[in-house]
Amino acid sequence: MSKTAIIYSFHTQKSKKVAEKIIDVFGKDEIDAINAEEITTETMESYDNFILSAPTWFDGELPNYWDEFVPELEDMDLKNKTFAVFGLGDQKGYPENFCDAVGILVEILEECGAKVIGKIPAEGYTFESSRAQRGDIFVGLPLDQENQARLTQKRIQTWIEQLKEEMK
Amino acid sequence: MTDKDIPKIYSIKKTPKETLEKWFRLLSVGRAIDDKAPNYLKQAIGWSYHAPYAGHDGIQLAVGQVFEKNKDHLFLYYREMLTALSAGMTAEEIILNGISKATDPSSGGRHMSNHLAKPEWNIHSVSSSTGNHTLHAVGTARAIKYYGEKAVSISGQGESSVSEGYVYEAINGADKEELPVIFVIQDNGYGISVPKKDQTAQRKVANNFTGFKNLRIIHCNGKDVFDSMNAMEEAKKYAIEESKPVIVQANCVRMHSHSNSDDHLLYRSQSERNYVEEYDPLAKFKRLLIRYKRFTEEEIQTLEEDTKKVIKAAHKAAMSAPDPDPDSILDFVVPEPYVSQKYPDGLHNAEGEKKKMITALNETLKTEFRENPDTFIWGQDMANKDKGGIFNVSKGMQHEFGAKRVFNAPIAEDFIVGTANGMSRYNEKIRVVVEGAEFADYFWPAMEQYVDTSHDYWRSNGKFSPNVTIRLASGGYIGGGMYHSQNIEGSLAAIPGVRIVYPSFADDAAGLLRTSIRSKGMTMFMEPKALYQAPQAATIVPDDFEVPFGKARIRREGADISIITYGNTTHLSLQAAEKLQEEGVSVEVLDLRSLVPMDEAAVLETVKKTNKVLIVHEDKVHGGFGGEVASFIMENAFEYLDAPVRRVGSTFTPVGFNRILEKAILPNTEKIYNAVKELVKY
Repeated sequence: MSKTAIIYSFHTQKSKKVAEKIIDVFGKDEIDAINAEEITTETMESYDNFILSAPTWFDGELPNYWDEFVPELEDMDLKNKTFAVFGLGDQKGYPENFCDAVGILVEILEECGAKVIGKIPAEGYTFESSRAQRGDIFVGLPLDQENQARLTQKRIQTWIEQLKEEMK
Repeated sequence: MTDKDIPKIYSIKKTPKETLEKWFRLLSVGRAIDDKAPNYLKQAIGWSYHAPYAGHDGIQLAVGQVFEKNKDHLFLYYREMLTALSAGMTAEEIILNGISKATDPSSGGRHMSNHLAKPEWNIHSVSSSTGNHTLHAVGTARAIKYYGEKAVSISGQGESSVSEGYVYEAINGADKEELPVIFVIQDNGYGISVPKKDQTAQRKVANNFTGFKNLRIIHCNGKDVFDSMNAMEEAKKYAIEESKPVIVQANCVRMHSHSNSDDHLLYRSQSERNYVEEYDPLAKFKRLLIRYKRFTEEEIQTLEEDTKKVIKAAHKAAMSAPDPDPDSILDFVVPEPYVSQKYPDGLHNAEGEKKKMITALNETLKTEFRENPDTFIWGQDMANKDKGGIFNVSKGMQHEFGAKRVFNAPIAEDFIVGTANGMSRYNEKIRVVVEGAEFADYFWPAMEQYVDTSHDYWRSNGKFSPNVTIRLASGGYIGGGMYHSQNIEGSLAAIPGVRIVYPSFADDAAGLLRTSIRSKGMTMFMEPKALYQAPQAATIVPDDFEVPFGKARIRREGADISIITYGNTTHLSLQAAEKLQEEGVSVEVLDLRSLVPMDEAAVLETVKKTNKVLIVHEDKVHGGFGGEVASFIMENAFEYLDAPVRRVGSTFTPVGFNRILEKAILPNTEKIYNAVKELVKY
């Protein structure tokens, strides 16, 4: 398997905890943790597989560290790279834009030619609208620490198994 | 087209460096003033109201950049300093407004700080009532469309303003009339301390309007300069090309408290405050400039040094500017009216056939609309086939002048008045007449715009006068009951900035209406609807008759006592006088015709002549206009009085529907007769 990086903001609280769980499940030795606030083009060139953390900010926006990286990302050729995206959202507090950031980031990655994996059935969530949803699937892994924290560990395990399968 | 498909005209990589520099200078100067404003209050210099815009930087820069002065029309709300700056106002002008100097271009120190305007550029004077300028923006857009200009009207507002009913009325009207208006909803999540979940069920409040047929809704990141610029460019292009309204909902953050009278520490957690600060739009823009190598750190530092110099110079100039003169407070309350050359006293000796009041009004409206092509009239029931106005006063006007000048309005009184105000902002030539409500006592929903419009001339330091005549079918004696029979002029007259006239004869109705339409400023034109068809109100009406404001008319000469009256009760007073004459009491009947301004000279003259006064009006005695007349007489002619000043009017009750109740409540000839009999005993 080629090198995998997990990119999330080291300054976050909830996303950081979830990322650390993902690292545990994925296997510490198999993945490098990178601070999203410090990524550059070179970071992206150094790995083939990525797991990105995209928590949704405000009423459906990317966090600024991703938003500010997008113009750089758009210039990259990501044809041979594989991405999986997870993100924290709040189904009850923000049901109109549940995990929108996951969807926004995946759209950008796809436009850059990247292969996006880790899409899951849109089951077990209750919300009104999400840019991460396409028909019956989510284009990444939505996690809800506000309302479904109990399900997070299991969701991560299932997702990582799927990723490992898809990365083969 | 979805938001995602909006052309990305601007981006950090593509936008020319000189444009980026211009934007950075604006953002930097704006933020410096935004941060510095509270210091003026701390030093007791002024700026006691400051609503910081920090966190709205992207969208405000964008609105100002797409605004074309002297062509587009812009309505800023109180948290919109950067828009003003971006639209071309200077740092000095912003500070002059903040510290309320005489040379403040917004209001000469008359209006609150942070209420920025420059009417000579079409950056309009606005009130503090959140979002009520949406109605003005719609009215202005109506003029833009009528005159075929390729321009837009832009309203800036917070997301909480959408809770106001008049904002709904404005958006509905713009949608119905397909007008080029952009409602820029700057969503920072709070109305002072009230979170938006307590305002409306949708977090994205613009989505409450998704059912509107002609309205486009664009969402953008108001914290991001490029996303905001692209959204505003698209909104303007669409509004002009399609002649349709757009809502741009810009997601912002409020980095500070609502204003300096609010403390957000009381209701926002540290983590929330950190969260919004983290998305400081200016810091983000700066990071992008450096990250994408459009500017070096050194270049940014140089620009920031320039900002300091700009602020310092602006501060120095503003501090040395003159303060407003206290002797100027009576300037610009009401504009100078049209001056009649031929009828300086509003009197005539014409001969011919008598005309009913309704005919006189109808013919005057038509004559004025023929004379002035920039005249418009609307209201509920204004025009549908043979129906022309609630009581057919405007019958035939749509047939003659067309549906673009004479048209129905939705049942929304505030919209009727607010868009009249707005349309007259387009240029000084325009004269708007509206039927303000079906009946005068349905006018209350429009009081919000009545009050706001009454402020306009004074508030803008004489730069803008709303040239509007508001006609209202008023009063009772028709068995109409509440909302169909009451008088409201007593309440209206308590508010400065409006002329109020109330004729009782056909000729005076025609003459006052002509003067109202030709004058600048707002005139309330009260029509005693019981007299529209009444033979006793019919008179000979010269075709060109004019009655100046503030000119009363003696309708009956007398020597023993004066009745000062107006409207329906003029006729009741004349009937009582006739009866009293038979008993040897000589009664003078003075018809005020204008309440505001009142003919003080005529009042004094009749008091001095008869030494006894009865004031009669249909409105309630309690709080009625007669109280003002009585006080004026007491203060200015007490020594001429041989008896106390008495008043006859309605009881302090609503007007009842049953004729028996109505009769007991409203004044009549008998009540007037009895009051005179009492007074002449002195």
